[in-house]
Amino acid sequence: MTVSIAIPTGALHSGALDLLARSGLARLTAEDLGRRLLAESNDLRVILVRPADVPAYVDHGAADLGIVGKDILWETPGAHYELVDLRFGGCRLVLAVPDASRLDGPETWPPLMRVATKYPHTAGAWFESRGQAVEVVRLHGSVELAPQVGLVDGIIDLTATGRTLRENQLRIAAVLGSSTARLIANQASLKTRTAPVQAVVARLREAAGDAG
Amino acid sequence: MTAPLRPQLGNVPGFRDLLPHEAEVLRDAQESLLAEMRRWGYRHVITPLVETMDVLDLGLGVEQRRRLFKFTDARGDVLALVGERTVPVARLVAGKLRTAPLPLRLCYAGPVLSTDESRFQHRRETYQVGAELVGASGPVADAEVIALAARCLEATGIRRYQIDVGHAEFFHGIMDAVSLPEETKAAVRVALAARDFVGLEALLEDTPLKSAEHELLLKFPALRGGPEILDAAGGLVRNRRSEAALAELAKVRELLLVHGIGDVVNLDLGAIRDFEYYTGVIFEGYGPDFGRPVAQGGRYDGLLARFGRPAPATGFMVQLDLVSEMLTRMVPPRLDAAIAWTGSGLSHALRLAATLRLFGMRAVVDTEARSVDAAKDWWDAVAASNLLYCRDAGPVTWNAKGKRARSLPAEQVAARLAGGDA
Repeated sequence: MTVSIAIPTGALHSGALDLLARSGLARLTAEDLGRRLLAESNDLRVILVRPADVPAYVDHGAADLGIVGKDILWETPGAHYELVDLRFGGCRLVLAVPDASRLDGPETWPPLMRVATKYPHTAGAWFESRGQAVEVVRLHGSVELAPQVGLVDGIIDLTATGRTLRENQLRIAAVLGSSTARLIANQASLKTRTAPVQAVVARLREAAGDAG
Repeated sequence: MTAPLRPQLGNVPGFRDLLPHEAEVLRDAQESLLAEMRRWGYRHVITPLVETMDVLDLGLGVEQRRRLFKFTDARGDVLALVGERTVPVARLVAGKLRTAPLPLRLCYAGPVLSTDESRFQHRRETYQVGAELVGASGPVADAEVIALAARCLEATGIRRYQIDVGHAEFFHGIMDAVSLPEETKAAVRVALAARDFVGLEALLEDTPLKSAEHELLLKFPALRGGPEILDAAGGLVRNRRSEAALAELAKVRELLLVHGIGDVVNLDLGAIRDFEYYTGVIFEGYGPDFGRPVAQGGRYDGLLARFGRPAPATGFMVQLDLVSEMLTRMVPPRLDAAIAWTGSGLSHALRLAATLRLFGMRAVVDTEARSVDAAKDWWDAVAASNLLYCRDAGPVTWNAKGKRARSLPAEQVAARLAGGDA
C-alpha cells in the first residue's frame, strides 16, 4: 500500500531529500523532483509543496506524512500528529532590533511595540503572554528592511546563522523559540493504514537518529 | 463566462447554502441515521437551537464556551446557539424527563454552530446526528452504542468504514502511575491534546524515573490493533486503573463480535480525546478518504450529575455534513422521468406521472407543450434518467440515456420503469 509524504521546497528541501535517501525509502534529486513535483519510489509517493502548505496537505489527508519546520507548525497549528524531531534545519525565531536601537530586554520595550513579521500569530501570542501590547505588521518578504525605514521597532524572524541580521545592522534582542524539521502525520492515516504508515515513520525516525 | 455573484447574494463567511443534490443527500442520510437509531429503540427528541449560558456553562469546557455564538434577549439573559447537542439532551433528561425511568435511549439531529471556522472547510455551521444511552453503565451498554454507531454508518450507504475503540481510564491510569510533578503532568496533557509527541518526548526525557508507563505514553500513536494489543499493553501497565480498562475493553470487544461488527472494529489504546469529559470506553468512526473521524463518542458518566440527576451515560454523534459530502460524490442525483407533451398529450402526461409517483419514482411534467427536439433540450436541462414524450393519443415515446427511442403504451412504460427496467 502506497504511503504519501509531503516534503517542502526551500530551506528544508535538501535535508528532506537527504533523509529520504539515508532511510533507504527514496533516492530523488532536487532537479528531478522539482520538475515533476510528484514522484513514486517503491511504495512511497513524494509530493513537493511549499513549506507553509505541508500542514494543509497532511491535515486534509492528501498526504499521510509531511516534513515541515516547527516554525510553520507554530504559525498554523492543525489536527495532525507531530511524531519525530528530524534534527535538521535548525534555526531560531528571534526578536531582532536595529544595532542602534535602545530596545533590548522587556523592561526597555515601549508601551506599544511595533514589529514586522511573517509569523503574525506566533509573534502576537508571544508578546501577549508577556503582557506586552503589540502591533504586528504582516509582511511577506524582506522583513529586515522594515525597521531600517522606520516602519517598526523590530522584527520577528527566523535565523539560522544570524548573517542576514548582521548584514542589515540588526541584533537579536530575544529568542522566541528553536525550530527544527518535524515529521507530522495525518490522524486518520495512522488509524486506517497503521502498518504501512508506521513502517515509514520508523525508518525516518531511525535515519534521523543516525544523523544526530 | 458566468457573471460574478452580487455580494449581497452570497453567504455569511462560514455558512453555506446546500444546493439541491447536496441538500437531498444530507436529508436522506439524516433520515437513514435516525431510522437506524429508532430501530434500536432510541426515541427522537428535538431540543432548541438556543440555550441559556447557565445551562451550557454546566456542561461545556472553557474552549467550547468561548466558541459559542452568544447574545442577550430582552430580559437580559445571556443565550447561546448550541455548539453540540449532548448537553441539551442531558438538561432534558435531568429536567422535563426527570421522572422517566432509566435507562433512557434518545436520539437527535440538527445544526450546531461555532464562532470559529472549522479547521477543514471553514464552516461555522455543521450538522450532527447523535444518540445517547443514559442510565446504563458497563460493557453491554458500551458495546450497544458502538454497534449502533457502526450500523448507522452502514445505513447511510458508506462502505469501508472502521471503528476504533479505546478507553479513557487507560490514559488516566497511566497518568496516575507516571512519577512526574503536577506541573509536568499538566504540560504532558497539553502536549498530548496537541498530538505533539516531540514535545512530549522532551518533557519525559528530563525526568529521572522511567517507568513502563513512560514508554507507553511515547508509543501512544502506535498502540493500535486487534486483541493482541490488549495483551501487549497488559504486560506493560502496572496500575489498577489501566488494567481494569483493558479488562473492560476485552469484554466490549467480545460483545462487538457477537453484534457482528468484529471486522470493522480496531482497538486503539492511544486514542486522544477530551479526557476531562470522557470517563470510560471511547470510540471514533472513520470513513474512506477522509482525513478525520466522521463519528465519535464514548462514556461520560460525570455530565448528568452536574444537572442534578447523577447517572452513567454513553453516546455518540455522526458528523452529518462529512458523511453527506462523502455520499454526494458517490450517489448521482436522481430524477427518474421527465415527461414532455404536445397537444392533448398533457392529460396522458399527468396520469403517467401520477402512476410513476405511486411507485415511488420521481417524475416531473413539463409546464408547456414542446416539439420533440425542444423536449430533448428540456430533458438535458432537468437531468432526468428518462424522457417520456406524450402525444395526442397512442403510444408514449420513451428515451433513455444511451438507448434507442422506443414507442410503448403508457401503462407498459410505467410498469417497466417501476420494475427497474430503464
